[in-house]
Amino acid sequence: MKKIYVLGLAVGLVILAVASVCFAADYDYKTMTPDIEKALKNRQSRYHQLQSLKQEGVVGENNKGYVTDLKNNAAAATLTAAENRDRRVLYEALAEQNKLGNTGLLEVQKAFADVQREKAGPGDMVQSSSGDWKKKS
Amino acid sequence: MKPIMKAITMFLAAIVIAGCTVKAVGDPNRPITINANVVVDIRGLKQTATNIEDMIAEGAVK
Repeated sequence: MKKIYVLGLAVGLVILAVASVCFAADYDYKTMTPDIEKALKNRQSRYHQLQSLKQEGVVGENNKGYVTDLKNNAAAATLTAAENRDRRVLYEALAEQNKLGNTGLLEVQKAFADVQREKAGPGDMVQSSSGDWKKKS
Repeated sequence: MKPIMKAITMFLAAIVIAGCTVKAVGDPNRPITINANVVVDIRGLKQTATNIEDMIAEGAVK
């Protein structure tokens, strides 16, 4: 009897784990507004310039899903301000359109920060979730 | 049922219930405010973030 109960519990846990993988929520832009389109195009147009500044260590990816000017460089500051404005538009739209609730924007920012940290190339400056800046190896 | 089994059962039940709790706050004379828990799937969100960043990188203007 005891074995059957434990077996049932194990099967239940496996089903829960499989279900969580198979039924992962699908978040996306439900409506492609002009603001979203503009933000995406803006980000595409400055992508390579931003990548160069990242490789030079002038700009880094912070732990809130935005870029930071690390050297108080005027050109970099202008670029990061524009990039962060567009990122904010995209994050807010994603949280709002997917009805992620009060903490949705923070969750979206955190997810993007994680992805940016993972995607950063060797030598890029990234901020860990604890707040430390380091060069990605 | 052993205490450990009971504890595991209670824990699993708590996880299932916590995901779909709807709490009503207010009194009969005022409109009811419903605070629903919104469960955000972090893995799904990270996948979306990855797709968006890939799309930006692939469509980047040179």
